[in-house]
Amino acid sequence: MTRRRLPWLSYLVVVTGAVLTVVPFLDMVMTSFKGPGEAGTLPYRFLPKAFALSNYRAALHQLNLPVLFRNSVVVTAVITASVLLTSSLAGYALAKLRFPGRDLVFRLVLSTMMFPPFLFLIPRFLILVHWPLAGGNDLFGRGGAGLTVSIAALAVPFLVNGFGIFLTRQFMLSLPDEVLEAARIDGAGEFTVWWRIVLPQTRPVLVTLGLLTFVDAWNEYIWALLVSTANPDLMTLPVGVQLLRDHVDPARTMPVVMAGLVLSVLPVLVLFLLLQKHYIRGVMLSGLK
Amino acid sequence: MVNVLTPQTPERAPGPAPAGPAGHGRRRARHRQTAVAYLFLAPALLFFAVFLLLPLGFALLLSVSHWTGFDLGAIDPVGPDNFGALFTGGSTFLVPVLTNTLLFALGTVALALTGSVVVATCVDRLRFQGLWRTLYFLPIVTTVVAVGNVWKYMYEPGGLANGVLNALGLGSVAFLQDPDTALPSVVAVQAWASLGSAILVLTAGLKSIPASYHEAAALDGAGPGTVFRCITLPLLRPSLLFVCVTQFLTGLQSFALITVMTRGGPGDATNVAALEMYRRAFDYGDWGTASAAAFVLFAVVLVVTLAQLWIFRRAGEDA
Repeated sequence: MTRRRLPWLSYLVVVTGAVLTVVPFLDMVMTSFKGPGEAGTLPYRFLPKAFALSNYRAALHQLNLPVLFRNSVVVTAVITASVLLTSSLAGYALAKLRFPGRDLVFRLVLSTMMFPPFLFLIPRFLILVHWPLAGGNDLFGRGGAGLTVSIAALAVPFLVNGFGIFLTRQFMLSLPDEVLEAARIDGAGEFTVWWRIVLPQTRPVLVTLGLLTFVDAWNEYIWALLVSTANPDLMTLPVGVQLLRDHVDPARTMPVVMAGLVLSVLPVLVLFLLLQKHYIRGVMLSGLK
Repeated sequence: MVNVLTPQTPERAPGPAPAGPAGHGRRRARHRQTAVAYLFLAPALLFFAVFLLLPLGFALLLSVSHWTGFDLGAIDPVGPDNFGALFTGGSTFLVPVLTNTLLFALGTVALALTGSVVVATCVDRLRFQGLWRTLYFLPIVTTVVAVGNVWKYMYEPGGLANGVLNALGLGSVAFLQDPDTALPSVVAVQAWASLGSAILVLTAGLKSIPASYHEAAALDGAGPGTVFRCITLPLLRPSLLFVCVTQFLTGLQSFALITVMTRGGPGDATNVAALEMYRRAFDYGDWGTASAAAFVLFAVVLVVTLAQLWIFRRAGEDA
């Protein structure tokens, strides 16, 4: 009854909101095609005079895109793989193995989710810089650049995720013990049970966790900014585009920045559109966004 | 083969195993499972030790020390001086930085909550719900660098926002350059970016309210407004609480968007606590007060979260 009332008003509200959500993206795309003197001038025009690709060529040239892309891809892949591996291993142990200290470890995992990330920004960076015997450091972490010489610096703080462990553990709890026990009776070791039986059945939650991790890692900005101030070779896509914006005349190069942004947003957007059901379920579960 | 003897019953605390050959095998199996479990947990535990506990202790030490950087041996513990320095001697930390932080979080929650309640109740009656959800979700998967720069550009004199104002016959607004409008302008962007997840949670909450409640109320002669106020809102409280707490938490901590859009300017108009911490540490090398600022913000986050839970629980008892 109430569902049928005033649908046109509901449509008006929802469509207006959707337009407000999408228009900034369209403005980004349109600006990325605008020619010299077209962007940032009065009066404002939404559409470019012609869809020229010159800004994309300029972005390719000025941004050193191959390096940025490589860094982003490597870091995102390593983080995603590591989170999936460590979460499913730890999650399996906490859900299906019996051992002294299990409750304590589980509580520890839960408590790691309580600390906000900004609390670790300074000490983690200092720990990386003073990493013993890396990047010219001595045994006491003095004298060199530490781990910031390596691309590992970008990935290290995100390699394990307490929420990921919690998520896989909760899901694995529902797997029937009988199947695991039967495999053990057949002589399968715990590693085989985990790899052959548990992992295939945990696939849905691993896809969700993998997507969440992938998108977060690809979009991460603050840590990558920090690391790349220590070592400019480690710039990722977001950092590189932001640097371009900061260092050049904004009126003239805004279209180039927008072209860079379109290129850096596109991979994640495509992935999201293809697998959005899994992603949305993840946001639902985490509530962290 | 010994695993045959391990029954799938809830295990008690590890104590002496029962005597006899069966007990012996059971104990061996149990030892092996313990070893395997800690092997599986090792990467995570090692990570938590090195990148969670160690940094936490290090940050605590720095927050009560003077340190100029470089030599770890030169950290000089001075007690609570750093915390004192944050709040005395013309320090900007309490006003405007912490007040900005609260206003930023409060403004974001208010905007996102209002917007998401309105949109979610409307979406609930429509077709193509998947399409709407996808559209509203786009900002969430977009990097903050893109969101911040696109909006910063839209706020420019020749940008889209002023273009719309001019087309409506209104004067241009210096959104990010004017200290009075800068904070509301970034609040609007943060709310815009977080609307999708709030709508998602509220839509799920609305779906869990049985339609019969609405029908019964309508039969009793309640208008749509009354139904919304007396049935929908109270039953939606868990979802509202969830959105409120998570968005407030995010709002108190986030500074990436502000870093991209204004870097805290003009002046300190959009400076927030996490950004102040970042700048004190990485721009000025003032590691001590930066770490102290981090813990003050952490305390604020804890207090605000507990207060929200308490308020909602009390409101629940009164209802």
